[in-house]
Amino acid sequence: MSKLNETDIQGFVLRGYNLPFARHLFLHFEDSARARKFIFELLDQITTGQRWDHGKPESTLNIAFTHRGLVALDLPTATLLSFPVEFQEGMKRRAEILGDTGASDPTKWDELWQKDGIHSWLGISAVSPEALDARSAQLQSLMSETNGATLLGSQDAASLFFDGKPCNKEHFGFTDGFGNPDYLGVDRDSQPGQGKLMPDGTWQRLATGELLLGYADEAGELPPAPVPHLLASNGTFMVYRKLHQNVATFRAYLDSQAANYGGGKEKLAAKFIGRWRDGTPLELSPDQPDQSIVMDPARSTNFTYANDPSGTRCPIGAHVRRVHPRDAFGFNGKLIDRRRITRRGLPYGKAALENEPITDSDERGVIFIALNASLVRQFEFIQQQWINYGNDAHQGNDKDILMGNHGGKGRFVVQGDTNLANPPLVCSHLPNFVELRGGDYFFLPSITALGMIGMDLVDPR
Amino acid sequence: MPNQNGKLYGLTFLAPIIDDKKATPSHDLQIRAYLATLPTDQNSPFAKAPSTHLCRLVVMDDVVFVGHPAHEEHLKSKYLIFETNCDSDATDYLTGLAKTIPQQLDAIWSHCVGYPGAANLSEFLSYMKACQLKTTFFFAAVNDKSLPESLRALATQRAVVDFIADHQGMDPGRLQSEFKQFLAELKACPIPEPGAMAPLRNIKTGGRNE
Repeated sequence: MSKLNETDIQGFVLRGYNLPFARHLFLHFEDSARARKFIFELLDQITTGQRWDHGKPESTLNIAFTHRGLVALDLPTATLLSFPVEFQEGMKRRAEILGDTGASDPTKWDELWQKDGIHSWLGISAVSPEALDARSAQLQSLMSETNGATLLGSQDAASLFFDGKPCNKEHFGFTDGFGNPDYLGVDRDSQPGQGKLMPDGTWQRLATGELLLGYADEAGELPPAPVPHLLASNGTFMVYRKLHQNVATFRAYLDSQAANYGGGKEKLAAKFIGRWRDGTPLELSPDQPDQSIVMDPARSTNFTYANDPSGTRCPIGAHVRRVHPRDAFGFNGKLIDRRRITRRGLPYGKAALENEPITDSDERGVIFIALNASLVRQFEFIQQQWINYGNDAHQGNDKDILMGNHGGKGRFVVQGDTNLANPPLVCSHLPNFVELRGGDYFFLPSITALGMIGMDLVDPR
Repeated sequence: MPNQNGKLYGLTFLAPIIDDKKATPSHDLQIRAYLATLPTDQNSPFAKAPSTHLCRLVVMDDVVFVGHPAHEEHLKSKYLIFETNCDSDATDYLTGLAKTIPQQLDAIWSHCVGYPGAANLSEFLSYMKACQLKTTFFFAAVNDKSLPESLRALATQRAVVDFIADHQGMDPGRLQSEFKQFLAELKACPIPEPGAMAPLRNIKTGGRNE
């Protein structure tokens, strides 16, 4: 596999920018011709996957469309109907499948997401709030000048700051962002544990077609994609979910369960997730956090579950073990190679210190963004089968403790560990720690495809 | 024993559907219409009859022509396929069905060629056995346990996990006395009805989420 054409692929797909500030703009198109003009004018500004040899830019810009957006842009019907069904339906209509019911039901989403007006996503990342504002203002003027799009709403997100410094923690206090897979052809330092497990115990990059349309996937097939091929190739599908975090409930629940747990509160928090709050994997260090592991790319994601079948180190139902099971389902991990996603996204809302008074209704959460070649085979499968159902993980009907839609029911079992003073713990009556406030599925095209859309040159024949 | 895996049986029956040009609607459509009304939970007739772990009824119209250069072939008849995983051999299992749900059997198989009705047991058994195929390979969904054993085990597992969750950290003396009481209650509990233990799901598996 040769290197990918980084000038044709949006940068957001190939790498996490690692910029602390982000703004997501949600656009509506009134008129297809004016909207195409707006997109055409925008072309030169879209950040590609080219390396930044002269340092990071002040800000980046990327673009994606909902299926309704592509309809509003007047793409040919033969093209519109060739998109995968789940993308045509959009996330709201997939609510039952995704477990987005109860508190996460679409009728409870933010007003922005209640209506079906969102046609396009513009994602800005920036080094500073000033750079973010400057880029937003520039885009707003282009929208006005071309009269090509109206802004329905926006969502800010940012790394959490403690003592004035950004960090990669989320609101429950866990270090996030370890698990992104490596893909063939993507120019990125790879590290063991981030690709696919081979029979000899080494890790290799996943097939490009697990991330990008137009390339062979792990089954040696091209992922289902729209016609023409040129519109799909080097593009991908993006999941956007605004996940509200009930931080007060999480803290209270952890405290109440820790009172019955021999290992103490921090160890219990680690057992929920499978990593200590500082990011140390329980599999590698079950009894205390160890920054030397976290800081070492050769070790921080380099572990398997084969030697921990009873979950004495990392519980069988721990979050990371369920959503990235590695070899936990046997067959040398072969069962999971087509269920991997690439995550982008940042928290939103102000960081809260551990002893700071807070409530669930405070605006805190994470903008969950996932990229994958097949929404149904990758993101939706993980959400339906591994988060809201436990059979593959041998957890019966138990849902993922962190992300599951529990509604006050359900259980999470912490297996006993090697210390006899620390017997098993069954956590029950699980509240929802995370609730969905809105989101949708987006098509994130290549630069070539964006040009075809902007110039009205999409021809399905 | 191809029809048997440990204590479990996988039985397969293939009955030709009556081809009567004058029937309105045709007999295969009448079977489909009837099957579509059957419940799939504890009220399914096959849940009420003894020893069915799972079963499936399929109306097979014809083999599908997949296009040139495949050789075009057709079946001589439409068939009703009945597959079941159960606890006993064909004679005992079919006898159980004939005694428990004769009306439902008649409503389905009366559209098949030569079906004698479930009222006459020996003729019913001969007919069904004439329709039986050797099951060469089947998926046993349970670990070599009978239906009552499986249902009892599932109910026990749920009750024990609930008990553990509700009694963590309890003083040992009290825990022991509560456990004894729990055991007595558990033993006295009736076995849950087949088909009654599945969690409520708003979506069907299969096609709708593909």
